[in-house]
Amino acid sequence: MTVFKTYCKVLTKCKWPILLYTVILIFFSAFNTQNNDTSTMFSATRPKIHIINLDENSDVSKHFITYLNDHSDIIDFDSEEAVSDALFYHKISCVITIPKNFGEDFYQGKDVHIDIKSTKDYQGSLIEMMLERYVKVATAYVSIFDDHHDLFQAIDQTLATEVETSIASSLDSDSLNKAALYFNFSNYCLVAGCVFVICMILTSFKSDHIRKRTIISSLNYKKYNRQLLLSNGVFTFVLWLFYIVLSILLVGNAMFTLHGLLYMLNSFVFAFCSLCLAFLIANLVKNKEAINGIVNVLALGSSFLCGAFVPMEMLPEGVLKAAHVLPSYWFIKNNETLKTLETLNTDTLQPIFINMLVIFAFSCLFIIISNIIAKKKRKIN
Amino acid sequence: MHNYRYTLKTLFKNRMMIFWTFAFPIILGTLFHLAFSNLEESEQLNTMPIAIVDNMEFQSNEALVSAFTAMSDETSEDPLFTIQYVDEEKAKALLKDEEIIGYVFVDASTHVMIKNNGVEQTVFKLICEEIIQSNEMINTMIEEKMAQVGNMHITDPTAMIEQIKQDVMERMQEETSYLNDTSSEHMSYVVIEFYTLIAMACLYGGMLGMFAVNCKLANMSHHGKRVAVSPTAKGKLIFTSVLAGYTAQLVGIALLFAFLVGVLHIDFGDNLPLITLLALVGSFAGLTIGIAIATLVKSNENMKAGIFIALTMLGCFLSGMMGVTMKYVVDTNLPFVNRINPAGLITDGFYALYYYETLDRYTMDMIALLLFSFVMIFISMFQLRRQRYDSI
Repeated sequence: MTVFKTYCKVLTKCKWPILLYTVILIFFSAFNTQNNDTSTMFSATRPKIHIINLDENSDVSKHFITYLNDHSDIIDFDSEEAVSDALFYHKISCVITIPKNFGEDFYQGKDVHIDIKSTKDYQGSLIEMMLERYVKVATAYVSIFDDHHDLFQAIDQTLATEVETSIASSLDSDSLNKAALYFNFSNYCLVAGCVFVICMILTSFKSDHIRKRTIISSLNYKKYNRQLLLSNGVFTFVLWLFYIVLSILLVGNAMFTLHGLLYMLNSFVFAFCSLCLAFLIANLVKNKEAINGIVNVLALGSSFLCGAFVPMEMLPEGVLKAAHVLPSYWFIKNNETLKTLETLNTDTLQPIFINMLVIFAFSCLFIIISNIIAKKKRKIN
Repeated sequence: MHNYRYTLKTLFKNRMMIFWTFAFPIILGTLFHLAFSNLEESEQLNTMPIAIVDNMEFQSNEALVSAFTAMSDETSEDPLFTIQYVDEEKAKALLKDEEIIGYVFVDASTHVMIKNNGVEQTVFKLICEEIIQSNEMINTMIEEKMAQVGNMHITDPTAMIEQIKQDVMERMQEETSYLNDTSSEHMSYVVIEFYTLIAMACLYGGMLGMFAVNCKLANMSHHGKRVAVSPTAKGKLIFTSVLAGYTAQLVGIALLFAFLVGVLHIDFGDNLPLITLLALVGSFAGLTIGIAIATLVKSNENMKAGIFIALTMLGCFLSGMMGVTMKYVVDTNLPFVNRINPAGLITDGFYALYYYETLDRYTMDMIALLLFSFVMIFISMFQLRRQRYDSI
């Protein structure tokens, strides 16, 4: 109990960094999971655009804007600089300028062009397609319809023709996405939290004068090690439990499903692995000041390379291949696979359990290496 | 000069300090590069995998068959789709395994099946609709033409209908665009991450200044006490120490720049003198924060470093380091925050050089940075002047 008490005493000194990691986790999760699309009906993506109409008097430009208004969100800004900023930061996907003689050229059958500035991402391409579609239909009809009213009616009618779209999945994909996002990010917090705290505490216990005192005390060294190991285990378990409670608060009911349970199990296995990694680092490093640097490089490195911050599918292939040597990769891969699993049975769950086994194998490897190092460092002069 | 040389030596021998100010930004830059190098490419419209249920109804719909064949033509530069022609069961299985984004099923009408809502799915639906709409167009145009011709005698109505059909199909498949793209070439928002990194390095460099000043403060170290009783003018000592801090800081920034431009090929725009000037002023701002914290906070060195790092990280966070969106959110909703945030000003200065053709915004950022630095210096001087100890 003496060791455990001392452990808790040192632990309280590390409360600020843990709190900081937690605040970052909450903030990140809240920031990225605002989207509340739980519908199983198709809803089209509405790109955000800004329109500069230099041909205000023509009825075709007005009709064109009405069409755009139906399929996208038109946003107005105070200044030109605000428009440029919004386009750069992808807050709008496209700036559309309707040129001065648009209406006149259109009715005279001349070539019409619309000036655009686009972000060139999916949404930018989507709005470009919408624009092209309108102009194609309108320029085809203008040669046939003499009456403007009939012309616009025909354009509207054609553009309103839709295909029936249905969503095949019965999964609550939004909640599972949220859960995956949360647990992916928790990679950073678990690694940073565990490694930082455990290393800080163990280096305190390992500083020469304290170690010498412990060695000559009546306390059996096996009991001492056991208590230390147990204290670390308790700490990791509490940290994991804390993040699970947080996940229930942030993700909601999806955590009480079988999917949620598997997310928890996966993160438990990973928390154990983080504990083993922390043990290894603590055995390697003696200098307290260096720990901060190591923690940052390890936690940030594994998070960036394995897809905790940037989705896995957006990472270059080479990076993902290199990431195979990190346990975080297998943890995050499981999170990503879980969100797409519609039916849970032994066949579909097999890859999940294999990945968990890989994480467990990493843990064993860390324990073996730390034991070898500890054995070599046991002597004190 | 003597003090300058020795302070410089002391600074370069402090391994932890060198790690945080020199190595850490470079490590972080490498991680950013590895993680973000594919980000913008993956957000662009790429070839989409889809399936088509290959039944009788589909095969008899000429418009659909020819349109999908044209859009999946592998010989074209970037085909819109890669298509698998399968039966319905297989299509469902493919969708379930996310090997395709959706499939088309034709019976009396055309159906699109997708797994979840998204931009890719919207584009897929839009393209299917476009094909259906071209049929609708043909019918509308024939009807209108017929109505116009009315009772007049048409020699060959089938030829007219064929002509309209051909016109519409050509129009729908033609490559010429009605859009005149005037987008800027400098649209990569990922560069902001690297700009915040420079901002972080500039400010972290202030730790060197803080350390240099701490060594000269009588209440901070034995070294400071010895210095305090020496006959050398305190102003001179502080100035040379700070100058040494600034020199070390500039070495770090130069290394980071060389790494970002030479190894990671980050685009900073073309105006090298103004980029250098911004880095110099940015580092100076970082230095002044370091000095201000060293003089204002009456606590031990760890506490000072903690406050310094917390402030710097908060500044970097607000300027978009942990997500570029944050900079935009702060800039639009709380503009004054990033006007007094040196990390925000440095990032914005680089952004202005990269994205804007005029220098107005850059100049404003520079003025704000200089003002900030002078306020910090003024506060530090006010705090430091006439500091005397009878005993300590």
